[in-house]
Amino acid sequence: MTASPASCYSAVVRRGRILAIKWGMNPNSSSLGVDVTFLLVGATVLAAVTPVIGALLRWRRPVALAPAAATKPGDIA
Amino acid sequence: MTRDIRALATLGRLAVRRVDTALGWLAGRGADTNLGRLAVRGVDAARAAIDRARDAARHPPRRARLERFGAILQLTVPRALVFVDRAFARRTVAIGPGAAEPAVWAAPETAVGDAPLSAPLEAHLQLTNRCDAGCRGCYTGASPEGARGEWGLAEWTRAIDELAEAGVFHVALGGGESAVLPWLGELADHCRRRGIIPNLTTSGLAGLDRLLAISDRFGQINVSLDGLGPAYAAVRGFDGFARADAAIRALRRVKREVGINVVVTRASFGELDPLFAYAAEHRLSEVELLRFKPSGRGAHAYAELRCTDAQHRAFFPAVLAAARRHAVRVKVDCSYTPMLAHHRPDRALLAELCVYGCTGGDFLVGAKPGGQLTACSFAAPPPAAADAARPRITELRAYWDGPDAFGAFRRWRDAREPCASCEYHALCRGGCKVVSAHTTGDPSAPDPECPRVVDRAALGAGSGAPRVHLPVLSRDRE
Repeated sequence: MTASPASCYSAVVRRGRILAIKWGMNPNSSSLGVDVTFLLVGATVLAAVTPVIGALLRWRRPVALAPAAATKPGDIA
Repeated sequence: MTRDIRALATLGRLAVRRVDTALGWLAGRGADTNLGRLAVRGVDAARAAIDRARDAARHPPRRARLERFGAILQLTVPRALVFVDRAFARRTVAIGPGAAEPAVWAAPETAVGDAPLSAPLEAHLQLTNRCDAGCRGCYTGASPEGARGEWGLAEWTRAIDELAEAGVFHVALGGGESAVLPWLGELADHCRRRGIIPNLTTSGLAGLDRLLAISDRFGQINVSLDGLGPAYAAVRGFDGFARADAAIRALRRVKREVGINVVVTRASFGELDPLFAYAAEHRLSEVELLRFKPSGRGAHAYAELRCTDAQHRAFFPAVLAAARRHAVRVKVDCSYTPMLAHHRPDRALLAELCVYGCTGGDFLVGAKPGGQLTACSFAAPPPAAADAARPRITELRAYWDGPDAFGAFRRWRDAREPCASCEYHALCRGGCKVVSAHTTGDPSAPDPECPRVVDRAALGAGSGAPRVHLPVLSRDRE
């Protein structure tokens, strides 16, 4: 059986957590715009949305990184 | 069979058109209840999500990047950059069975913001400084002639390649007026091919026909609209509202993700609510509010146009009230973080929403029309090293980790009072360095328009009498 990427590092793998979510895109070419709409509804709604985002990310196929590039900082896919 | 499918597709298109007409009518009538407004928003958002999913299938954007704290993952539906810890990254990024632990994770795991990112999230590219509008507060001082040594398509294509190699997720294209550039669509295509999502700001005053034809290549397009009717002229110095309004309507007819950028000035502060109503009526996807910066021609108009201290203190509640009333998504630019912090929102919530102050030279970088790399669009390019030219955006990776890269922008931790003792400093990072540099001559000085800084200055200047220091009691004597 092939080891899954999740089990490569440790026998007991933490589920991990989402640290922050930057919503939307910023078309403004002069400064960084951040979506503050969530401040209207507060932490409770964000706490409800975050697990959904987590589930979406876990549900999609793991993003592959090129093995040769995988040990450099800022690796991308 | 094929005929049946075609007939069904036609029926589907007709039904969608009917729904659009009905929603347009509802939005036009002000959709008098919050429920009505939210329904219009919900349907628009759902249809935009379908468009985005289709775009992402055609041109897959970059999906992940490793960082010291873990990784940044990109979602297109919903649109989000998600910062996750290493444990989460191990489950969602396939580093490869048996591969070594990434070098970037060799050091202990950090928190977001403890160190600069491995590359910016986005780059703000000022493709040209050509613009005929002549707005009196223009932060780039744009002119019909443009800047000397402006780059063309070949150079900007190389810049996009460099940004893609560095791991940048988005670019925000601006000017001047970039919509007049004949190769703008080609550059946007190149961004897509390299996994970068291009976004655009336009004045809507020129190049509209060309832009309409290529609007589907952009993630989001915002039109600069600093006021409605006469308020537009009061801010910009000429009456361009009708043209900007026509551009917004035309863009919205061909694209769902169209919003407005509003530079908030002393004169337009009272117009914020009507601007949100305008956005709701035209079913725009967002309103982005920008603080007036003393840069370019804006430096001369700054004293007259900048908001008052009272307006800055009232900004956050006024904006949230307008967003709630009209059910419109609202964004504020990084320089407004001190005004948000003034109302003491939950710090953990701000961090979870990535609400940071000055992240120039970290979350974002800028580039001038000749490719000169800057920490943000308002900042001057970093000084040249001995016997070297100023760094260009095509040298981003070489400059990024260099000694004292981006100068004061990266040294925000060396803060003075009242920033040093402010519990929001790790988020706010001292406010807008461009305002500090203009007002005090020192970009590292605390943002002079931050209410906390204003209060401290008022206390210090109070009576003119020397301050009396109260005796400090030790714990033993308490």
